[in-house]
Amino acid sequence: MKKRMAMLVLAGLVAGMMSSAVMAAEDSDKAYVQEKGTLVVGITDFEPMDYKNEDGDWVGFDADMAKAFAEKLGVEVEFVEIDWDNKILELDGKTIDCVWNGMTLTDEVTSAMDCSNAYCDNAQVVVLPQDKAEEYKTVEDLAELNFAVEAGSAGEAEITALEYNATPVKAQSDALMEVAAGTSDAAVIDALMAGAMVGEGTGYADLTYTLSLNSEEYGVGFRKGSDLVEELNAFFAEAYEDGSMLKIAEEYGVQASIIEQKAE
Amino acid sequence: MALIMEQMPIVFGALNVGFLQTLKLFIVTLIGSLPLGLIIAFGSMSGFRPLKYFTKLVIWIIRGTPLMIQLLIVYYFPGLVLGNSIWGGGESGRFLAAAVAFIFNYACYFAEIYRGGIQSIPVGQHEAGKVLGMTRVQIFFRITLLQMIKRIVPPISNEIITLVKDTSLARIIALQEIIWAGQAFMKGSQGISGAIWPLFFTAIYYLLFSGLLTLLFGALERKLDYFR
Repeated sequence: MKKRMAMLVLAGLVAGMMSSAVMAAEDSDKAYVQEKGTLVVGITDFEPMDYKNEDGDWVGFDADMAKAFAEKLGVEVEFVEIDWDNKILELDGKTIDCVWNGMTLTDEVTSAMDCSNAYCDNAQVVVLPQDKAEEYKTVEDLAELNFAVEAGSAGEAEITALEYNATPVKAQSDALMEVAAGTSDAAVIDALMAGAMVGEGTGYADLTYTLSLNSEEYGVGFRKGSDLVEELNAFFAEAYEDGSMLKIAEEYGVQASIIEQKAE
Repeated sequence: MALIMEQMPIVFGALNVGFLQTLKLFIVTLIGSLPLGLIIAFGSMSGFRPLKYFTKLVIWIIRGTPLMIQLLIVYYFPGLVLGNSIWGGGESGRFLAAAVAFIFNYACYFAEIYRGGIQSIPVGQHEAGKVLGMTRVQIFFRITLLQMIKRIVPPISNEIITLVKDTSLARIIALQEIIWAGQAFMKGSQGISGAIWPLFFTAIYYLLFSGLLTLLFGALERKLDYFR
């Protein structure tokens, strides 16, 4: 009897999980968001894309764009800090409506979410202690180093492709800590992040970044089958056309990386 | 060093906010799980077999799976399975989900400690109560309860101190407790990035708080020392 109960519960859970994937495709995500009146944006504290200013408000290039997009949808915007590892869970579990946080469009991301057009360029750069930077001028020079990379990141993919030694860590910031602590020789992280976190005036004044390994692009992630993707692409095209997108970008110093947006 | 001095006010401000959240989860968990544990303990000692076995099954499942997975299930399953998140994405929803997971988890551990405490009271006392015409409820509250409390103070204080540190698991569903607050400065927050020391400094908060609890439990044990 109990066994049968357990089986039933299990079957129910499995069926529920499978149906949830289908359900998302059937309903209009736009209608869902407009009905509840808030667009919940999943972010991490990531300067200059999403971060808190002195008043405790979320600002940044992505945050300001998200505010404008929500206004166009006629809804409130709510920023929620998430654990980056759980972004797909958060999205599918409907605890957030989109991931808008300088998210690199990797295979992992594009296969699990429906993403907007790329709107910003980024590169993966090598971070080294300042006194060692002179010795490593080319990608070949790096072969002897032990790298720390964020597990599942674009940086890890680059190092794996080169077949260099890499230790996967939980976050890009952990990778930096590894280098600072001397437990790894170098790290590979986002150029935008390296710009904000490494070098003079930061907590990692003894580190520097040199070579860039590849270029990549940022996009906004929605649930599979969401009609908000088209909506956002149209909004991007509009904002690029009337110059408001670049104006916001200039405010946060990322104007050089913005990708031209065209109406489809 | 000068840089750290500059960072201190901002960092302590953030750590205090995080620690308040830790404290809130700790207190809410205790308020919920201490009584719930007693109910579960009665269930597991029930003469009604189906209830007894069902309770034992629940205790096995809750104690046999990591609290981290339970947090993920409680928070994400409603949205994933029912297609409708009952908690919402905000901080209060995350706190509520974390509290539910923690209360159930700790209640199951407490239940086993209570059961041990209750069963350690000699049967003779129960029988004596019966002879005097007391009901089972009277026997429990007038004879068993206080003796049980005295005996379970050491194991319960053990669990409670573990709970102080286990609250950090709630960061898996992005509850912004003190470890989260400390880690935020590593990747950059409020103009401070790449600062490693705040994360390690959170240990001091835990240490001081569990020190305070140890003193409290010591006092409680002495208070209960007037009988054997």
